[in-house]
Amino acid sequence: MNNTNLENYAKEIASKFSSKIAKTWQNNDELHLNVELDAMPKICDYVYKNLNARLATIICSDERKNIGGFAIRYVFEKDNVFIFIIVSTGQGFAFPSIISHIPAAALYEREIKDMFGLVPTGNPDMRPLVLHEHWPDEVFPLRKEFELETKAKRQEKEYQFLRVQGEGICEIPVGPVHAGIIEPGHFRFSILGENIVNLETRLFYTHKGIEKLAESMRLDEALLLSERIAGDESVANSSAFCQAIEKIAQIEIPKRAKKIRTVFAELERIYNHVGTLAGISTDASFPFGAARLNILKEKLMQLNEYLSGSRILFGVNRIGGVRCDITDENKKLILETLSQVSDDFDKVTILLKSKSSFMDRLRGTGAIQKKIAHDLGTVGIVARCVGIDVDARRDHPYGSYYLHNHKTPQELVQHQIEMEKRTGDALARFEIRVHEVQDSLDIIRESLDLEDDSLFTSVPENLEPFRSALGWAESHRGQTLHWVMIGENNSIFRYKVRTASFCNWPVIEQAVLNDIVPDFPLVNKSLDLSYSGNDL
Amino acid sequence: MIKATRKGIAGNGIETIKNLTHTLASKNYRGSAIFTAEPTNDQRKTLEEICPTKALFSTKENSVMGLDNGKCITCGYCSEAASKTIEIQNKPSNPVKTKSQMISYSSPQTLFQEKSYEQTGNELKEKIQKMFGRSLAIRQVDAGSCNGCEIEIAALNNPIYDIERFGIHFVASPRHADVLLVTGPASRNMEIALLRTYEATPGPKIVIAVGACACSGGIFGDTYATTGGIDKVVPVDVYIPGCPPRPEVLLQGILLAVNRMKSE
Repeated sequence: MNNTNLENYAKEIASKFSSKIAKTWQNNDELHLNVELDAMPKICDYVYKNLNARLATIICSDERKNIGGFAIRYVFEKDNVFIFIIVSTGQGFAFPSIISHIPAAALYEREIKDMFGLVPTGNPDMRPLVLHEHWPDEVFPLRKEFELETKAKRQEKEYQFLRVQGEGICEIPVGPVHAGIIEPGHFRFSILGENIVNLETRLFYTHKGIEKLAESMRLDEALLLSERIAGDESVANSSAFCQAIEKIAQIEIPKRAKKIRTVFAELERIYNHVGTLAGISTDASFPFGAARLNILKEKLMQLNEYLSGSRILFGVNRIGGVRCDITDENKKLILETLSQVSDDFDKVTILLKSKSSFMDRLRGTGAIQKKIAHDLGTVGIVARCVGIDVDARRDHPYGSYYLHNHKTPQELVQHQIEMEKRTGDALARFEIRVHEVQDSLDIIRESLDLEDDSLFTSVPENLEPFRSALGWAESHRGQTLHWVMIGENNSIFRYKVRTASFCNWPVIEQAVLNDIVPDFPLVNKSLDLSYSGNDL
Repeated sequence: MIKATRKGIAGNGIETIKNLTHTLASKNYRGSAIFTAEPTNDQRKTLEEICPTKALFSTKENSVMGLDNGKCITCGYCSEAASKTIEIQNKPSNPVKTKSQMISYSSPQTLFQEKSYEQTGNELKEKIQKMFGRSLAIRQVDAGSCNGCEIEIAALNNPIYDIERFGIHFVASPRHADVLLVTGPASRNMEIALLRTYEATPGPKIVIAVGACACSGGIFGDTYATTGGIDKVVPVDVYIPGCPPRPEVLLQGILLAVNRMKSE
């Protein structure tokens, strides 16, 4: 099925633009098309609108030594295929912007401008994104000649926020240091009375240079780094990284390892969803519910620790398999803990749903429109809460998820009806999380019949230089994509990470419009976005 | 039936930790690395190479090997490479006042007297009462962490660790704070904000570096985008190693910080 889909798309694109495409080839489930720089916006537009593909990510890499220019890969996702539209900038330092066709590309293009110094011609927003205003203009960290340890001098400059003016409009600046125990980011509210007229987010305070750092690391070190992209998504991100390397090495991991990865990925999803639900309860001023849910979260984290040696599941994966085994004794413990958690969780959710003040607080708060969620290219719960049915576990099965995808026609229809009903407010997101926790519990129970083969398989000593592959996983926030290109001597030539948060952050600016300022924490928590996963 | 329902919702045997001798870390917990034998010259080389954060190093005399817990992220690569020489134990490494105290050597070392969560908490309560009246106010600042440390700090507020019973609470502004609890390798983009937060905190103030990143830069090291530890930006009173440190260890670290304040 995979190949026919892929071939069909290749044919369809070729029939329209055959003169503009220099080369077409296939790399696992990726369709690669080398196209001319000038024709790229039209081809992207065609793939986006006519094929109805989603923009998954835009990857830039400095390949001046190999191909005489920067390579930019526009990655689209359609069914179970990833379509790569590849251009080279040649001698120039500019590329045509595609945001008039695909709004979701806006942030990627600004990111490329900051990190590579390539100008997206036609993008109206040229403000700095990753490197804040205090960075000198001529610093482009992801260019190959830039040294990792360079300490750039600070310069004095001011960031231009969007100004909303008019009678009675006030501005509230919030952050980067917030009131709660959360990560840093700046929010600029423009308000009229209590109503939010405009919100502008300014992130990348936690930018740690992960992509550049990975280029100086061994593969097993980069694995540890991938776990620390966002501490609460460690299994999802490291699985995605491992899958990319495993694809490059053309190895298949043992069935036991696949199932163990699945179990840990779902354990991660549960503890985070329970934590987010607790947060929603706190922000809706119902601390009792939060306390109950936090107890469950702590229990799950203690289970994590017993199984993996880390309360937030660091050190589960290795390239070619997993590091932690699940013994028969562990299985028993998992089942016992999960049945307790499941019982308690059901009671707490019944309690929460019976509190009209709690439900009223969520209903209609932070509502997102389907069109906006689609245009911004959202993933995960943020997309599913408006009925955009994306889930990497089903769309691109990895690990042992293919075992859990069988649905009867009746179930499929019910699922579709449910998707249509979703309203995109905080309540929808609350309900989806509750639902997903229950699904995850089932998946774990079904995955515990482990095969008797090994925990990992050997990885070839030397990987072929300049081979690349895309790895992915569905974290509790949504699809996370990791693209790796191997360099000489098993080094990493380019490691591009795009977590779900990067896609979902822009939506918050739309979700809070016309809500009041005290709604913001609740909306923010219900979207559950990672700062570190976004800023890298 | 009412009784049963009430139990189901309100109790279920979950209680705040009280058992004085009970240690919370499970036997599998990767708390810290410890030398079990003297590494040979070859092993030293391998270990130095394999450690992703350069926490393992040979001393100048090249006779012993050092382990900087402030850099160690307890990944366990060392114990996989030399299982007879170095081992990952479930005892977490302790918070300390100076960077040099975080380093352990392959030659014999003295063992730290372990205290339970409750004991530590009560000692802290006494100290706080003497110094601040009844409470200690903490402001948490994320200077670029991966969010792992935040999860553990937030866990201090849950009903199981319940840090408020010792008179410690998290406040919303640095102007209300006695203690800054800082995580992350201090990213360049957060440097100014961290400095301003420090300046906004009234004296006497203490700064606690939480986690390997805050102590040394951790896996993120010292690069164009990080400063390699928050002590490059603000003066640090107590270092809490770990990736991330457990909630009990966080509490120990706060206790140590208050001790320090008294001596000044």
